[in-house]
Amino acid sequence: MTTGAIAGNAGSGPNQAAVHEDRSAFAFLSMAALFFVVSGLVALIIATKLQVPTLLGGVSWLTFGRLRPIHTNGMLFGWLLAADMGLCFYLVPRLCGVKLWSEKLGMATMWLWVVIILSAVVTLAMGQNQGLEYAELPFWLDLLVVVAWVMFGTNLFATVATRKYQQMYVSIWYILASVLWTAFVYIVGNFATLFTSGVNQANLNWFYVHNAVGLIFTPLGLGIGYYFIPKAAEAPLYSHRLSMIGFWSLAFVYVWTGAHHMLHGPISQWLQTVAILFSVMLMVPVWSLVWNFLATMKGQWHQLKDNIPIKFLMAGTIFYLLTCFQGPMHSLRSVNAIVSKTDWIVGHAHMAVLGAFSFFAIGGAYYSIPRMLKTRLHSDSLANASFWLWLVGGLSFFVSLWVGGFLQGLQWNNPSIPFIDTVKFMQPFWSVRLVGGTLMFVGILLFFWNVLATFNHRHERPQAA
Amino acid sequence: MINKVDKSSVAFVVAAVLFFWIGGLLTTIAPPMLDKSWVKPAPGLKNYPALAAAGDPQAMKIMKGRAIYVAEGCWYCHTQQTRTIEADTIRSGWRGERSPVSTPDEFVYDAPHLFGTRRVGPDLSRVGGKYDSQWHATHFRDPRSLVPGSVMPPFPWIANDPEKLEALIAYIQSLGRAKDWRPNQDYEE
Repeated sequence: MTTGAIAGNAGSGPNQAAVHEDRSAFAFLSMAALFFVVSGLVALIIATKLQVPTLLGGVSWLTFGRLRPIHTNGMLFGWLLAADMGLCFYLVPRLCGVKLWSEKLGMATMWLWVVIILSAVVTLAMGQNQGLEYAELPFWLDLLVVVAWVMFGTNLFATVATRKYQQMYVSIWYILASVLWTAFVYIVGNFATLFTSGVNQANLNWFYVHNAVGLIFTPLGLGIGYYFIPKAAEAPLYSHRLSMIGFWSLAFVYVWTGAHHMLHGPISQWLQTVAILFSVMLMVPVWSLVWNFLATMKGQWHQLKDNIPIKFLMAGTIFYLLTCFQGPMHSLRSVNAIVSKTDWIVGHAHMAVLGAFSFFAIGGAYYSIPRMLKTRLHSDSLANASFWLWLVGGLSFFVSLWVGGFLQGLQWNNPSIPFIDTVKFMQPFWSVRLVGGTLMFVGILLFFWNVLATFNHRHERPQAA
Repeated sequence: MINKVDKSSVAFVVAAVLFFWIGGLLTTIAPPMLDKSWVKPAPGLKNYPALAAAGDPQAMKIMKGRAIYVAEGCWYCHTQQTRTIEADTIRSGWRGERSPVSTPDEFVYDAPHLFGTRRVGPDLSRVGGKYDSQWHATHFRDPRSLVPGSVMPPFPWIANDPEKLEALIAYIQSLGRAKDWRPNQDYEE
């Protein structure tokens, strides 16, 4: 079932037929890298606040409650989604054998995105918060997001419509589906919630929160992985059929699981059970995809030593497997009774966004940015250093929160322990998290510096053959 | 069919949206139609948004306090749900009395809902009447003076504004009061 469009045929004729401008792709990625730095800085401040709660205490717009949504929205929409959008602008035209439909539209989308993110920072700092997780932004900004998403989707769909290869490679399915699903998910989370209240609203809110990760970042991240893993390893994708099983099972299963955020809470038991059943079924799309990614590397594992994009992509694959093993496990009532509402979940969420999907995006960025600029990466050793900082920092971050969170959950279930003692108990784990987060932040700075230097020196260092 | 969606973007789009919609509709629109308790208010539940709109001064104060609670992001660190877990009912309880678990009918007028996902601080679903209002006033100014080891930020710009402070405390004292679960009405003022 393989065709010329499949990414594994690295460097083969058809993919190089069109001359790619990549202006909007690079603009999106470099802007994302900048927001990565800013959101990372905010992250360090709020992580420190858990240890020194009076830090910046007198200033209203610098309190934990105002900075936290800036951190989450900044990481999700300023960094990760913007990076994913840039990578889509890079890979979709290549898989279609044509230029991006409109670079002008792409650049306009990028600038609109900058306006949205900056406005988000200002409104959130002012305390304009709609009170719904990941849907904090005011109504007028939600509208701008929709406009930007339609511009983004139009560009991609128009590119696919003019494609030279009839068969669409699996990355294109994931990306197109994500554009469509995101539209519905976002509308439910940001508009339908405005007309509801109570448990009904909470259900829609969790539908959105869960599917923001599951049907926006997951398919975009996986589409990126499906493209860059065979490309960077210069090996054909292991199985087209397996990728189909993974995609269509994801399309069917993911959307049912939102209510697992309310397990044991005031929401219908049968809906909780439905969410649990489908959460467990999530293992089908996840394991078929991970199998496909790992099998593609068969005979190529020696590349882990020097191939920096592959390091990121494979570490991302393992983080994805772990995240998506945790998810179904948390949804079991017995496990949920311990870990829910604790820092275990915070560790889990960070592994999904900063571990799995950011690693895919960074691997893709290190691979594609030199190619966009027709140059070489400024420094491979800096990129390698950023990998180890992220890996070591990330693991100490995630593991400390899992261990601390799990133990705190056990303590909560023993009501003879006063609540405040369970808070004091977390302090050493929060210290380790802060150290891990600092390492990751240094990794972010190195990444940003590397992107900047690659751009500045692009004319001095022509592309390697 | 599989081969068709592989090659035709139109067939692909139709299939992908259809797959998504099955679960999407059954988990968003169907549940409130099947479970009426989501929209039927509990007998003792006050409709503060409507009362405030009608000019009730106490309800207006509570709604103003709720808006502060939302804007300051209190809900990022405090849940408002006593779950169907025994320890939750004990921790939400008071003086040996266990609190009832939270049920959908207590939250019918909540918009935005404030169930929360993370307990950096304790759950607040039954905090109304647990501490007196002076305790809360001191606590917002300097949490650690009352709870050593607490990681809650101080809120001087609220504590120094009597109107805001009173509103926020009125809201906190209203939480969980739809169910009259304490014996002898021993709620703090």
